Amino acid sequence: MKRIHLISILAACVQASGLYAAAPTAGLVWRDVVTHEQLVVRAAAAAKNDPMLKLPPSTVDETLVARPQDILTTSDIISFGGLATLVPKRAILQIPVSYRDRITYVKGSKFKSWPDFFRVNRGWISALEVSREQAEGKDPIDAETRKVLTDGGNLVVAVYKGGPISVLPLKDDKAATDSSKTSTPAKP
Amino acid sequence: MTSRFTHFIGSMLVLASAASSSGQGVYTNFVRQVQLPTGTQYDVSVDSKGSQLSALAINPGGARFELWTILSDPLTSYLLDNQYVSSYTPNASVYITTEDPYTTIPRTRCDRPFKVTYTVSGLLSGANDPAASKSVTFMRYIQSYGSNGTGIDIDRTQASLKTKTTITGNGTSTLNYAVTAVPGGPLTKIWGEENFKIYTIADTNAPASQLCSAMVQMWPVADGSIAGITSGQLIRVAMPTLTLTYNDLYPASTTYVQVYQGNPVLGTTGTVVPGSALVLNETLPVDRVLTVSGYDSVINADGTWTMELITITPFGVDRLAYVTFSVNRMISMNGTFTTNNN
Repeated sequence: MKRIHLISILAACVQASGLYAAAPTAGLVWRDVVTHEQLVVRAAAAAKNDPMLKLPPSTVDETLVARPQDILTTSDIISFGGLATLVPKRAILQIPVSYRDRITYVKGSKFKSWPDFFRVNRGWISALEVSREQAEGKDPIDAETRKVLTDGGNLVVAVYKGGPISVLPLKDDKAATDSSKTSTPAKP
Repeated sequence: MTSRFTHFIGSMLVLASAASSSGQGVYTNFVRQVQLPTGTQYDVSVDSKGSQLSALAINPGGARFELWTILSDPLTSYLLDNQYVSSYTPNASVYITTEDPYTTIPRTRCDRPFKVTYTVSGLLSGANDPAASKSVTFMRYIQSYGSNGTGIDIDRTQASLKTKTTITGNGTSTLNYAVTAVPGGPLTKIWGEENFKIYTIADTNAPASQLCSAMVQMWPVADGSIAGITSGQLIRVAMPTLTLTYNDLYPASTTYVQVYQGNPVLGTTGTVVPGSALVLNETLPVDRVLTVSGYDSVINADGTWTMELITITPFGVDRLAYVTFSVNRMISMNGTFTTNNN
C-alpha cells in the first residue's frame, strides 16, 4: 500500500498567502468575554458600594440648577457675503431698514468670530464701544452719539473692549430700545 | 482677590480645538460670559488654544462662562463646557480616568472600571460666611444612548440623576467605580455616558450653577462568531470557507481569528488566519462580517486544531468564540505494483 500524503498535493496547488504573526499580546490579561450574568453580579455589588454614598446626602433641588440656554436662541445672527457671526441679543443697537434681511442666518454661510466678521464688513457695520455701566443699563448712551450713529446709516453693534455685549434697558426706562430685533437678555 | 474677579478660559479651549478640527464640518467656537445677576452677556474672542483674562470683570454676583461651538451646516450649537465663577464660591475640578488612553473624550467599555477624581478648594466655614461658600453639591448623572446609539445630538437635560451628595471640605478625592450604572439590557450591551458635576449652592445672587463637570462614554462589549466550521468537524481536504461576524468591536481594538494545534487553552498565541484581521482606531463601535477562504497554509499539519476569535483592546484580550476541529489529510490507498518481465 502506498501512502500519498494529500497535503503535499494540495501544497502544490495552494497559493501561498503567507503566514501572519499574531498581534503582540504579551503582558495582556486574557479572558473569555464577560457575560450578562457576570455583569449583573458586578453591577449589584457596585451599586451597593457606590463611593459617592459615603458623602453626606444633598437636599438641593436639582431641577433648579442654572442651565445655559442655547446660544442660538440668546443671540442675533448677522449674515452677509457667505459669512455669518453671532452677537448677544440686545447687542445690536440699530438696524437700518436696508439691512434687516442680514439679521438672520443665511443657509450655507460660514460662521466666523465677531472680530473676523467685523473686519470684512466695516463698510456697513459700526461697533460702538460702551462702558460697563451703559451695558448694565445704569448709564444711557448719550443722544449725540445716537444721532451720529443714526445719521451714519450703519448697523450698530455695542462692544466692550472689542467684544459684543448686550445693552440692558435703562433701569428707570421702560421704553423699547432702538433695535427692532432685541429681546430681554436670557435669565441664567 | 484679583483672581476672583478674572477668569482664565484656557482649559475649555482644549476641547474647542478638538471640535474645530473635525473632518465632518466647519465648527466655530464662541465663549460667552453671562454676568449674574444682571444677565448681561458678553462674547469673548479667543484663540483655539491658550488662556487669557476676561476683559469684563466679574460682578460680585459672579459670571458663567460658556464654551460653545457652532456647526455652520446644518446650523447646530453644541455646549462644550460651562463654569461659574464668583468672588466667594469655591473652586472645583473633576476628571475621569479609564484604562483607555484615548484623550479626546474619556471612554471605556461598559464592563470596565473607571475613576472619578475631584478637587474642591476655597470652601469656608466661618459663621458669617455666605452659605454658598461653605459647601457644594456633587451630582452623578447617567444617560443611555439607546441600542447602537452614538450620543450625537442627545438631549442631556434628560439625563437621570443617579446620586446627589454634599461636599463640605477642601481637598482631593478619588472615587472608584467597578462598572457603569448606565441602564440597558443585556448589561454587556450598554451605549451611554455618565456625567459628574459639581454645583454651587443657590443664593440671592445666582441660582445653583455649575463649577465643573466631567463625562465618560460607555461602549458595549464585543461579541462574535465563526461560521462554516463546527466543533468536532473532521477536515479531510480543503479548509472550509468561514463567515466571521464581529459585533460592537471596541473603537480601539485589533480583532482576528487565530489557530493553533491542540485543544483550547486560553492565552495561547496562535497564527492569524489571513483575511480575518480588523484593526480599529475609531470613535464608535464597529460591526463587520468577513468571509475568509484559502487559509489552508496556516493549518500545516494533521491533528486537533483550535480556532479562536479574539479581540485586543486597552482592557486586555477577550476570546469571543472558539471551535475545535480535526484535520486528517492522509489518504490510504490499497494497490499493488506488478512488473512483467518479458
